[in-house]
Amino acid sequence: MVEEIRSKAKELLKTKRVDIIIGYKRASDGVSATPAFVNTVEGADELIWDAYCTYNLSRYLNDFPGKKKGIVAKACDAKSIIVLLQENQLRREDIFVIGVECSGVIDEEKLRFGEGDADRIQFDQRCKGCDPSVYPICDLLIKDKGRAKTPGLEKDPYEAVRKFEVKSIQDRFNFWKEEFSRCIRCYACRGVCPSCYCPRCVADQTMPAWFSKATSFEGNFAWNVTRAIHLAGRCIDCGECERACPIGIPLRDINKKIEKDVKELFGYEAGLSDNGKPLFASFDKEDPEDFIR
Amino acid sequence: MKSWEPKIVGFLCNWCSYAGADLAGTSRREYPPNIRIIRVPCSGRVNPLFVLKCLMDGADGVLVSGCHIGDCHYSEGNYYARRRFAVLKRLLEYLGMDPRRFQMSWVSASEGDKWAKLIKELVQEIKEAGPNKPGLRKRQDG
Repeated sequence: MVEEIRSKAKELLKTKRVDIIIGYKRASDGVSATPAFVNTVEGADELIWDAYCTYNLSRYLNDFPGKKKGIVAKACDAKSIIVLLQENQLRREDIFVIGVECSGVIDEEKLRFGEGDADRIQFDQRCKGCDPSVYPICDLLIKDKGRAKTPGLEKDPYEAVRKFEVKSIQDRFNFWKEEFSRCIRCYACRGVCPSCYCPRCVADQTMPAWFSKATSFEGNFAWNVTRAIHLAGRCIDCGECERACPIGIPLRDINKKIEKDVKELFGYEAGLSDNGKPLFASFDKEDPEDFIR
Repeated sequence: MKSWEPKIVGFLCNWCSYAGADLAGTSRREYPPNIRIIRVPCSGRVNPLFVLKCLMDGADGVLVSGCHIGDCHYSEGNYYARRRFAVLKRLLEYLGMDPRRFQMSWVSASEGDKWAKLIKELVQEIKEAGPNKPGLRKRQDG
């Protein structure tokens, strides 16, 4: 697979189909992967692909305005690209998507802290609910011949959400109060999210200041709700926010909750097609309104 | 200590609910004075951030009220609002916010009675929910 990626990258660069390839290369620790930005044919030899290629590279697509970009994309990354296209943040002709068949990526944190080893691959939590055969967009799909067993679809991807929903309101409040109290407002969740592309985030606005910038309960609660609600119907569950969070707030639990609600209420799923309108830019006359008095 | 009275912020659309509340007043329907009304052009104008800011700044309840479906002055503003707030309401509940604190209603310009009744019920519910103390910050009473 790696060879295929490299040769395709070389071909795309040589023929000037793209100006830059966004892919993965080996990090300086010799184990993990790091984003690679390749703009020369020789440079394409450093591209790699394996289960350490965790990052969602679609985050970088808009960092090269006016250039044609090639990108190495897993199934989840491809969904983010769909969202960007749907929201007119990208032009289809400006990108070339090299899809790679993914068998799940590794949860590096668990590996590092000894909760698994490379032989017994500890898959990232998000991969357990992913169907990697769904490739909404790609110009070329690189197949994995010796494909390891996929983590497999969880029976119910929303099991954790459902379990949490039935807890008492006080328990729910205490749980999130505790989690949010650790938030240091570094905005890494925002920085790493491919869908958080606003040139100016509401969190940075001072006139009006929508919520406190202090790490108070109010400030942290408001920030985390805002982040989540702004991603409603746009989050494709790449899990980057949770991975990037330095103090480990389970942000995916919030994203999953919204994903579930949106599916239940409106039958909408993000990142499947770039034709339809985004969730909040559309409506249905029959949308549920049992909560309205 | 003075007995506690809830503070409720109401975002009312100019064309229906605001007129409905006005009608309640002109037809001398009595309802508790706990609601502070903010007039907005349309329920579709209300950003989830408004609701969040109210709740974080110590409002005990927030009401978003607009025209009935099909009656929107801008044809479809309330459809968008309905979608948006369905998601917000469920999210707030998931994060442990009392569901009584954020409510939504459709009140038309002719429903002065409905308005008065709604506010009576709302105030009662929020009184039962008690003061909104988001964090540890001291709440200023009165």
